[in-house]
Amino acid sequence: MTAANLIRGLPEARRNEAAALFRARGVPHRRIEDWKYTDLRAALGEAGVGAVVAQWLVANLPAGVEMFDLSQANPPEWVSAHLGHATGNVMSAASLALSAGGVALRVPKGMAIADPLKLDFTGTGHVRALLVLEESASLTLVESAAVSEFRNAGLEIVLGENAGLDHVRLSPADAEAVLVEEVNVRLAANARYRAHYAAFGGKLSRMEVEIALEGAGAQAHLSGVSVLDGKRHSDVTTHVTHAAGNTRSTQLFKHVAAGQARAVYQGKVTVAKGANGSDSNQSAKALLLGENAEADLKPELEIFADDVKCAHGAAVGDLDAESLFYLRARGIPEAEARGLLLHAFLEDAVAEIADTDQRELVRVELLTALKAIA
Amino acid sequence: MSIAAETKQQVADIGDKYKYGFVTDIEMERAPKGLSEDTVRYISAKKSEPAWMLEWRLGAFKRWGAMREPTWARVHYPKIDYQAAYYYAAPKNTPLKQSLDEVDPKLLETYKKLGIPLHEQMALAGVAVDAVFDSVSVATTFKDKLNEAGVIFCPISEAIRDYPELVKKYLGSVVPVTDNFFATLNAAVFSDGTFVYVPKGVRCPMELSTYFRINASETGQFERTLIIADEGSYVSYLEGCTAPKRDENQLHAAVVELVALDNAEIKYSTVQNWYPGDENGLGGIFNFVTKRGDCRGRKSKISWTQVETGSAITWKYPSCILRGDDSVGEFYSIAIANHFQQADTGTKMIHIGANTKSRIISKGISAGKAQNTYRGLVSVYGKAKNARNYTQCDSLLIGGDCGAHTVPYIESRNPTARIEHEATTSKIAEDQLFYCLARGIPQDEAVSLIVNGFCKEVLQQLPMEFAVEAQKLVGISLEGSVG
Repeated sequence: MTAANLIRGLPEARRNEAAALFRARGVPHRRIEDWKYTDLRAALGEAGVGAVVAQWLVANLPAGVEMFDLSQANPPEWVSAHLGHATGNVMSAASLALSAGGVALRVPKGMAIADPLKLDFTGTGHVRALLVLEESASLTLVESAAVSEFRNAGLEIVLGENAGLDHVRLSPADAEAVLVEEVNVRLAANARYRAHYAAFGGKLSRMEVEIALEGAGAQAHLSGVSVLDGKRHSDVTTHVTHAAGNTRSTQLFKHVAAGQARAVYQGKVTVAKGANGSDSNQSAKALLLGENAEADLKPELEIFADDVKCAHGAAVGDLDAESLFYLRARGIPEAEARGLLLHAFLEDAVAEIADTDQRELVRVELLTALKAIA
Repeated sequence: MSIAAETKQQVADIGDKYKYGFVTDIEMERAPKGLSEDTVRYISAKKSEPAWMLEWRLGAFKRWGAMREPTWARVHYPKIDYQAAYYYAAPKNTPLKQSLDEVDPKLLETYKKLGIPLHEQMALAGVAVDAVFDSVSVATTFKDKLNEAGVIFCPISEAIRDYPELVKKYLGSVVPVTDNFFATLNAAVFSDGTFVYVPKGVRCPMELSTYFRINASETGQFERTLIIADEGSYVSYLEGCTAPKRDENQLHAAVVELVALDNAEIKYSTVQNWYPGDENGLGGIFNFVTKRGDCRGRKSKISWTQVETGSAITWKYPSCILRGDDSVGEFYSIAIANHFQQADTGTKMIHIGANTKSRIISKGISAGKAQNTYRGLVSVYGKAKNARNYTQCDSLLIGGDCGAHTVPYIESRNPTARIEHEATTSKIAEDQLFYCLARGIPQDEAVSLIVNGFCKEVLQQLPMEFAVEAQKLVGISLEGSVG
């Protein structure tokens, strides 16, 4: 591999560190605790992660947002300052060490961008992206992950004080695709990250979200839905760290798995020592609609401070028989009643999307997916 | 003396008492230091075991050599040198004290605070009970009663000799020899333990705990317990006791196997109060236990209740394999970690049969610099139609230097199954404390009250006399931790 094949703006030491981490750990498999329900090594088979470079696309750059192509030389200072923040995440290390391209975006201080920024990842291989919102800036990021044989995307988000980001991610269904994406978000004081991840599954689909609430008053609100059928798989793995006090996080994930599909949610909340006044709530629910469908939920708490409010709940089951009876007793045919209840089940999480247009978009996708199941 | 001051005193007493316990030099008959095939043969020979048992042990030992110590639990301890320990030690003619006057008064004080009856105090403190009251007759009465009912209750070494068919059939059938590092080690070197067989349709005429306490049998370092409840039978068994336990072996690796056949029920309660190490984290027992119950029959039920307050490190996950249709598994736990204690404990509920139900109530309390982890698995297999699980795990933190962690795994492969999990983390609420203080209840006492309230659902599951003691123990374990 020659130097021309790598992200030029990435300091050598950071790349070496990432490469060493990936070499040491290798492609994750189900014997690795964090990958127990998602066997990437088995899904990739002989081919492994390769060293191909995937593509990215920003169709319409809203006015005011700065952009830099990571395959170019001489990046601006804000790119080198933030790119490749070490996290210890093995697939993030792989995307950092193996990709030669990607994109860096910045919203300057105090700027509120009204139009959503649309970022698409396409093609096979590894790709990297960096998004920096400076102090008091705000933006809506709409990400779509087109299917591919195998793609590993690493997205880093840095939010300055008081910055606010709304993030909506849609990943379409494809029974053959192997999609891995790592989102790493760092939040300064009073910054706000609100995200919704809608997933329709692939041969393997893993969304790994690491959030560090580094400044007091920072908030992260995550929600997500997945509707899976056939043999599709979808894994959302989150780790929210309350590193500072008076920080808040909420998580609401709803999964529907039919056929032989497998829905996975692993959520970990860490409250660091001294992060008093942290408030965190986690909820994950799954509905199994197929005899051979599977749901695996692992909501985890790791608490090192005493003045905190942390709770989590998880539930797996079928549609509530009583609700179904109620609807049928009022003359609604069973199929329709089930459809209504499924919709209601997912709507809680969809309602979390702030942007009206994006919310509608996700709803339409959900309807289509639900119809396919019914 | 106010109750608060009293409890403070108790903690101090326990500390002192342990220092006492650990310097006692008892004459021992020991196997040579270290672990080898010879050690295994030595232990087997000491117990006059039949050839098949020796083979079983040797098989386990061979297997153990190829295994690696697990590292996934949230516990940290210096590497254990398995060759530096003694694997068999039988106390040789421990000199018995003639009366309670010879017993350390502080120890007696602790017993008193816990409300342990006088006769039991003597037994626990190693007083020659015969000199004071006729223990033989008490024991004989119990034995007669059990014999009449046909219940077999004896040391496992005796069972291996007298009931080889039962032992062969069930030993290792719940926790296989190859199960995990510590269970395999136990299979190779277990010194003794308990065997219980309750025949068909028999309701064990007494809580086996009662008998156990009077006999205060020596808890071995590598204990092995096997309890079989045949069709339609019922047995309640209590292990350990609230009284602080003297023990000089640092590593404990016990294995407990429960088998419940059709319509049988086993209730297994544990109160563990081994040496937790001192306030600075020095010393203390490493308690690595494998406990598992197999609801093998239809409509069988296994219920685990544990109060874990001792040991420097606790690593145990009493589990239920719900194999029989309509079987029920329960797990009620209080784990208290203070000072530098580390507890990583929880349960596994494996739903295999249809209409199986399980319930998990876990209360974790962390204080001082302790780390307390609940780790649990609820797994519903494809054929477990209508399986139900409800899990509640609550953590209470006292002070800002401790940790409370929750790691639940929920896996469902059946659409008709329903699993619910809830967890909360909190500290002692200011308003609760204020309410008590406003009514003239001193702070320490208020804390004890609140914590006992927090644990109530679990304490209720204990056999009556132990529930009372355990309640006091909860208070004692936490005293000194609140500023």
